[in-house]
Amino acid sequence: MGFILVGLFILLMFIGVPIAFVIGIVALLGIMNIEYIPELTVPMKMLNGLNSFVLLAVPLFILVANLMNSGKISEKLIELALAMVGWIRGGLAHANILVSMMFAGVSGASQADTAGVGKILIPSMKKNGYDKETAVGITSASSTVGVVIPPSIPMIIFAGLTNASVGALFLVGIVPGVLVGLAMMIFVYIIAVKRNYRKQDRTELNKFLKLLGESIPALITPIIIIGGIITGFFTATESAAVATVYTLLISMFFYKTLKIRDLPKILFDTLALSSLSLFALAAASALGELMSFYQLGLRAQEFFVDYVDAKWLFIIIIILFFLFIGTFMDAIPAMILFVPVILPTALQFGIDPIHLGLIVVMTLAVGLITPPYGLCLLLAAKIGDMSIERSFKAVIPYMIIILVVLLFIAFFPDVAFYVPELLNPDLF
Amino acid sequence: GGEEETNNEGSGDNGEGGSDSIKIVAAHNQTSPENPYQDGLLKFKEVAEEESNGNIEVEVHAGTLGTEESELVEKLKLGAADVVLVSPGFMTQTGIDEVNLFAFPYLFESYDHWEKVVQGEVGEEMAQIINEKSNNDFKLVGYWTAGVRHYYGKKPIESMDDLEGMTIRTQTSGVVSDYWKQTGAIPTSLAWGELYQGLQQDVVDSAENAYPYFVQQNHHQTDNGKYITETGHDYTTRFLLVNGNEFDNYTEEQQEIILKAAEASVQAEWESLYAQEEEYKQIAIDDGAEINEIDRQPFIELAKPLQDQAAEELGVTDLLEKIRQAAE
Amino acid sequence: MNRFVRLLEKTQIFVGVAFLCVFIVTILIQITTRHLEIAVIWTEEVATHSFIWSVFMGAAVMVNRREHFSFDYLTKKLKGRKQATLNIIIDITLIAFNVLIFNYGIKVVEQFWNYNWVSMPDLKMGYVWIAIPIMAGTMIIYSLSHLVKHVQVLRSGEVQ
Ligand code: NA
Ligand code: NA
Repeated sequence: MGFILVGLFILLMFIGVPIAFVIGIVALLGIMNIEYIPELTVPMKMLNGLNSFVLLAVPLFILVANLMNSGKISEKLIELALAMVGWIRGGLAHANILVSMMFAGVSGASQADTAGVGKILIPSMKKNGYDKETAVGITSASSTVGVVIPPSIPMIIFAGLTNASVGALFLVGIVPGVLVGLAMMIFVYIIAVKRNYRKQDRTELNKFLKLLGESIPALITPIIIIGGIITGFFTATESAAVATVYTLLISMFFYKTLKIRDLPKILFDTLALSSLSLFALAAASALGELMSFYQLGLRAQEFFVDYVDAKWLFIIIIILFFLFIGTFMDAIPAMILFVPVILPTALQFGIDPIHLGLIVVMTLAVGLITPPYGLCLLLAAKIGDMSIERSFKAVIPYMIIILVVLLFIAFFPDVAFYVPELLNPDLF
Repeated sequence: GGEEETNNEGSGDNGEGGSDSIKIVAAHNQTSPENPYQDGLLKFKEVAEEESNGNIEVEVHAGTLGTEESELVEKLKLGAADVVLVSPGFMTQTGIDEVNLFAFPYLFESYDHWEKVVQGEVGEEMAQIINEKSNNDFKLVGYWTAGVRHYYGKKPIESMDDLEGMTIRTQTSGVVSDYWKQTGAIPTSLAWGELYQGLQQDVVDSAENAYPYFVQQNHHQTDNGKYITETGHDYTTRFLLVNGNEFDNYTEEQQEIILKAAEASVQAEWESLYAQEEEYKQIAIDDGAEINEIDRQPFIELAKPLQDQAAEELGVTDLLEKIRQAAE
Repeated sequence: MNRFVRLLEKTQIFVGVAFLCVFIVTILIQITTRHLEIAVIWTEEVATHSFIWSVFMGAAVMVNRREHFSFDYLTKKLKGRKQATLNIIIDITLIAFNVLIFNYGIKVVEQFWNYNWVSMPDLKMGYVWIAIPIMAGTMIIYSLSHLVKHVQVLRSGEVQ
C-alpha cells in the first residue's frame, strides 16, 4: 500500500495537480484504505492542524514584510546598505546581501525580501554593468537568510512540532545567518575584483548619518520582535502582531509612504500568500496522521540504530533528505510530515532539538533556491527575466556557500550556541 | 481460561483466528514517557492482551495521536481512537456540563475522600450522565487522577491576603477562575509550554499544579515558582473513556476483559501517581524549593457558596451534597 | 456563471480578509489585557478560530486563481487539445477530492456541531467546523468553472 501511495504522489505531482492537493489526496486515499482510521479524520486533521496559536505568526510576519515593501521601507534600507558597503568593489552586490540581512531581522519569510529588494536592485545592478547571473543569483541566494536570522516562520513551526523554545531557536539562528551573509560578501568581493565590478561613490558622513537616522525606526523592529520574545514579554505570535502595528504606524506616520487605501490590497496579498502554505500545512497534517499510523518515527529509529548508528552520518542523511524534499515542497509541510519521523532518532543520538531545528531550517532554506520549486529562485528569475535553468546555474556557487556554513554549524554547534547561551542561559 | 485457549488454537489452525480479534487504540496526551497515564494504559494493554490470549491487541499512544485533549475526544467520537483519557474541562466542550462538578475547587478533602466518591454512587451517576448525554458516544470505564494541585509562586502564602493582586496562571474554566478572583488573585492564561519562561521572567507571579507536573518542568527552580504552598485545592479527576457504540459491538467476553483491564489500569495509575507525587515533592525539596502548609479552612469556606451556586446552575446539587456527605 | 463566480470570489476574499483583521485585533487585545493584568480568556480561541476561517477562505480563492503551486512542466510541454485534456484531468481530480472533503466535512460538522468553545461555552464549535465544507464547496464551484472553460477549448480544438 505504501508504495502505491508514493507512486500516486509522484504521478499526480507530475501531471500538474497542485502539490497541496496531492498531499491531501494521498492522505485521503490512504486513510480510506485503513479500517482503523475513519475517513472523517481527514477534514478533522486539516482543521486541527491549523488550530494552534503559534501558526497565527505566519500571516502576521508576511503582513509585516508586505507593509515594509509597500511602505517603501525596503527602499530606505537599501539606501542605507548602499551607504554602508557601496564603496567596496562590487558595492551593489554587497548592499544586496546586507539589506537581505537587515530585512531578515524583520521578516519571518524570504519571498518578500526577494520581491522587495529584487525589484529595485536587480535592474540597478544590470544597469551598473553586473551580469544578469550575478544579479539574480545574489538576490535570491541572500534572501534565504530571511528564515535563518530571526524572526523565522519555519523556526516557529519547528518549535511547535517539537516543543522546543521559539526564543532559543531564534537566538541560535543569528550567528549562522550572519555567517552566510558574510561568506557571500567575501565571495562577491573575489569575483568583483576579478571582473572589475564598479564601486559606488563613498557617501558623505553627514548624508550617511541622515540616512541612518531615517532608518532607525525601521531597524528598531527586529529589536522589538527578538527582544520581546527573549525577555518573555511577548510570545512569537504576539511579537508578530506588535511588529505589524509598529510597521503600519511608522510607514503611515513617520515615513508617510503608506495610505489607508493601500491596505485592502496589502491584506489580500497577505491572505493569498499565507493561505497557500497554510493550506498545504492543513493537508500535510492529514497525511501526517496516516504516517503516524504506520509509526514511521519508530521504524526510522529502529533502522538508524540497526544500520547507521553514527551520529555524523545521521546528520548528513538528514541534510541530504531535506535538501531533496525542499526541491519540491515548502518548508512548512515538509517539516509537518518529516520532523516527527526523524525526531525520535535525533533524540536517541543525543542531538539537541534546538540544534536539529537549526539544521533542518537551514537545509530547507536552501530549498528556496533549488528548482523545480524554489520560491525565491522563481521570483528572482522572473524579475531578472532569465530562464529557471540559467538562474539555477547562477545560484549554485551561493548554494555551496550556504551548505558549507550549514555543515560547519551542524558539526560545530558551539559556533551558533555560544553567544545565545551567554545571553540567556534560561532558554537552553 | 482453559476453554478459550483450546478454542483459539483450533481457530488458529483453520485460519479464523483473526475474525474475532480486535485492535484497540488507546491514547493519552502526555509525551513524557515517565507519566502515570502511560503506566495506567500499559497496564490496560497488559491485562487486556493477557486475558484475551492476544485476541485483543492494544496499541498505546503517548501523545502521538494528539497532545490536545480536545483532539483525543474528537477521535474517540469518530472511532479513530478506542480508549482515551480526558479531564473535566475538556469534557464540557462536548456539551456535557455536569462533569464540571469535578473541577470545583476544594470539592475533595483528601485522596481517601476522592476515591470514596468516584468509586461510589456519585461516580456511577456521573458515568451514567456522560453516557446518556453523549448518546452512548462515551462510556466511562474508570476514574484516574492527575494529582492534587497546589499553589506555587514568588512568595509563600501564609493567609489568603497574600494572594491579593497576584497574577496566577490557572485554568480558564469558569468556576476555577471565579474562585481565584475571589481570593484576590488575578487568573491569567498562559500556555503550559510558555509557563517556565513566564515564571522566570516575571510574566506571571504564580501558578498552580500537581508536583509531578510542575517539577518535571522545573517550574520550582524559577524565581516565581520556588515557594510552594500546599493549598491542595483540587484533587483532580480524569475520565478513562471508551466509545460506547463500539463497546456494544464487542462480544460479551471482550467487554468483560476490557472492563477488567480498565479496573486494573485504575489501580496502576493511582499507585504510579501517588508514588510520583512523593518522588517529585522530594526532588523539589532537594532542589531548594520552599514548601509550607497552610490552614485550608478559610479557603474551603470561601469555596462553598461558589460550589453551591455553580452546582445549582449545572443541576447537580444532589451530587454535590452526596460528595459532601462522603467526607463525613 | 462567470458573474456568479466573480461575485463568489469577491465575497470570499472579503470574508477571509475580515477574519484576518479580527484575529490581528484580538491578539492585540490579548497583549494589552495581559500586561494590564486583566483576565480575558477568550482571545486565544477567537483568534485561532478566525485564523482557521481566513486560511480556508483564502485557500479556496487561490484555487480560483490557480495559484496553488504545481509543476507545470507537463502542461507547458503539451499544446492545444492535449493540454486541454490534461487540464480537464486536473480539474476533475480537484473536484473529486473536494466532493469527498465536502461530504466528510458535512459529517464532521454534524458530529461536532454541538460541541462548545472552551472559553465561551455559549458558542458552538459548528461555527468553526463549517468552514471546511464551505471551503470544499467553493473549491468545487471554482474548479467546475475551470472545467467548463477547458472543455470549451477542447471542443474548439475539435472544430478546427
Ligand atoms: Na527572519
Ligand atoms: Na526548492
